[in-house]
Amino acid sequence: MKYEARLGWMLVAPAIGVIGLIAIFPLGWTLWESLHMHELRMPWLGNPFIGLGNYAEIAGDPRFWAALGHTAFFTVTSISLELVIGLFLALAMNRAYRGRGLVRAAILVPWAIPTVVAALLWRFMFESESGIANAILVDVGILDQPIVWFIETATAWVPVILADVWKTTPFVALLLLAGLQNIDLSLYEAAAVDGANGWWQLRHITLPLLKPAILVTLIFRTLDGFRVFDLIYVLTGGGPGTSTEPVALYTFNALLQNLRFGYGSALSVVIFAITFGLAMLYVKGLGVRLGGEER
Amino acid sequence: MPHATTIAVAACLLLAACSDTESDRQQGSVIKFSGSALGAEGTLVARQIDRFNSLHPDIHVELQRTPDDATQRHQLYVQWLNARVGTPDILMLDAIWTPEFAAAGWILPLRRFAPAIADFFPATVEANTWSGDLYALPWFADVGLLYRRTDLVPNEPRSLDELATEAARAIKRPGGPRYGIVWQGARYEGLITTFMEYLGAFGGQILDERGRVAINRPEAVRAVTFMRDQLYESRIAPLDVLTWHEEEARFAFQNGNAVFMRNWPYAFEQLTASAESRVAGKFAVSPMPGAAGGRSTAALGGAQLAINRYSESPDAAYRLIAYLTAPEQMIERAQAVGQYPTRPALYDDPRLAAVRAIPLQQAKRAIENATPRPVTPIYTEMSEILQIELHRALVRQAEPQAAMNTAASRIEALMKRTGMRTLTGATGR
Repeated sequence: MKYEARLGWMLVAPAIGVIGLIAIFPLGWTLWESLHMHELRMPWLGNPFIGLGNYAEIAGDPRFWAALGHTAFFTVTSISLELVIGLFLALAMNRAYRGRGLVRAAILVPWAIPTVVAALLWRFMFESESGIANAILVDVGILDQPIVWFIETATAWVPVILADVWKTTPFVALLLLAGLQNIDLSLYEAAAVDGANGWWQLRHITLPLLKPAILVTLIFRTLDGFRVFDLIYVLTGGGPGTSTEPVALYTFNALLQNLRFGYGSALSVVIFAITFGLAMLYVKGLGVRLGGEER
Repeated sequence: MPHATTIAVAACLLLAACSDTESDRQQGSVIKFSGSALGAEGTLVARQIDRFNSLHPDIHVELQRTPDDATQRHQLYVQWLNARVGTPDILMLDAIWTPEFAAAGWILPLRRFAPAIADFFPATVEANTWSGDLYALPWFADVGLLYRRTDLVPNEPRSLDELATEAARAIKRPGGPRYGIVWQGARYEGLITTFMEYLGAFGGQILDERGRVAINRPEAVRAVTFMRDQLYESRIAPLDVLTWHEEEARFAFQNGNAVFMRNWPYAFEQLTASAESRVAGKFAVSPMPGAAGGRSTAALGGAQLAINRYSESPDAAYRLIAYLTAPEQMIERAQAVGQYPTRPALYDDPRLAAVRAIPLQQAKRAIENATPRPVTPIYTEMSEILQIELHRALVRQAEPQAAMNTAASRIEALMKRTGMRTLTGATGR
């Protein structure tokens, strides 16, 4: 037994080593770095240990709190839209009809486009006064005259949210579709025999049984949403002012533009803690099971 | 036994290699030069370096490729210098990096080489001076200019008010352009250069002579308000400028859509020679005008050459810098890529007058009126704060006075964090 245990440890040692090297070690180093003042551009300040000084600075940094608010707003808004639209798409795709395979493949096209490219496309559409977004909205009569989307906070969010919804809804739809296909069709037959209409079936059969898939989708999308970077970097650059800046962009800025390694590391640790906390909340609080044991 | 032979051979090879480098060193120094190496500029630098190599058999210069994008090059330099890497021996610095690199101790003071600084434009020297010593030699100058449609406004405006009046009149004329004036107003470093010119025009400063933050004083607030009024009151500037960089402004002017444009000299060549240009022969440049209480001011850009503190051959490196910044090479640079010399004496040289795309005397006047951006090692962070607050004021998220107050208090907090009592005073190593 003892020998087997030792053999077991030896066999998993390489895997543990790799995980330690590529996950634990960088994380630990970032944590250590975050306890120091380390301004690459100001070597005269040295590299002193300052304990929780960087975290204290974060706590008193209005730009960080604003960025956190923007991130939460972006995450909640875009995920709500994606879930609703994605559910409709999944329900439609779940029906048997000719060309179903083709539709399922076609719907994935936006998801297959790299985020940076998608962001650029959306930026071109909204960028200038004569852009296609302005042209269409003026033609349809929604706008009296073209507007400059990126100089007001409310309008700058429009292309950002639209781009994210356009790009990610297919992914959500596919996750939900997988969930739908796990539902036993005999439940619907039984309900139909009992005279339940479509709405009743959706509320009392589809949605409850889809709950695990919805929660898995939520967990994936929330974590993605909280780390949003490239989309906003390309579309608004965080502007106007810093009113669409998410935490990941602020961290990038501190770490790689201003080369504040200590403060930037502390920000990274905070993002990590938030996403980790959210994941825990989902898993423990809402009972998402990432394993396959449910039904 | 075969092992012993292998080792012996390897040892010989190693020794040979060692003695080779040794003899190389005795023969002369190898230095690495880094800078923009793209297109016509790259060809020019390669040609000048080849010539330098043949003139100086004891020095061998190699071109080391670095990113053309200034921000990326900056990041790379900072990482190398933190690691105390001795190459490239010569660094090409943007106008705003010299104090940062000097205070960090990454570049060598040049006084010991006794450069003739009186031969350069004072503003370009000021931008490269830190704690009383010169740290880089100005290589070429870039300067903010006011472009004007001569068919609509024949005479150069003598004040900002006159500029606004002329612009408003020209766009009201039937068939006149849509925009009165265009400039780069997106939230990036270019916005600061635009702002510097309005700031100087009203007599304001970012930092005063004693290195204190002056950005929330009445003159500065007047400058911000003037820019903002162009967008919302007189409406001579389109709101789009708040998302524009240099090129969008140039496109608007080039297509005949603007009466005035604030831009760098590079646009002159494009506007003159490009087949798409609708304004060729119908425009002129002049320095940005001043306003009541201030003076005509131009933002200063351009490149400087400095020596890596960890270089093994600083003397050879300085000889190359001296060669590249000598009058002959500057004239050749102006001819080949249209970049302005940093030596005022050259502006009377007939060889420069022959270069078609250079409006010499106006440019010289603008460079003489040029103001370097604040000479401080924490410029980049300071500029970021200012960019954000200025942009907030211009998009009307905040009132000018409130935005500038926020900027001032953030800059003061930055000074405190970095341990500086004044921004321009001696800190540092």
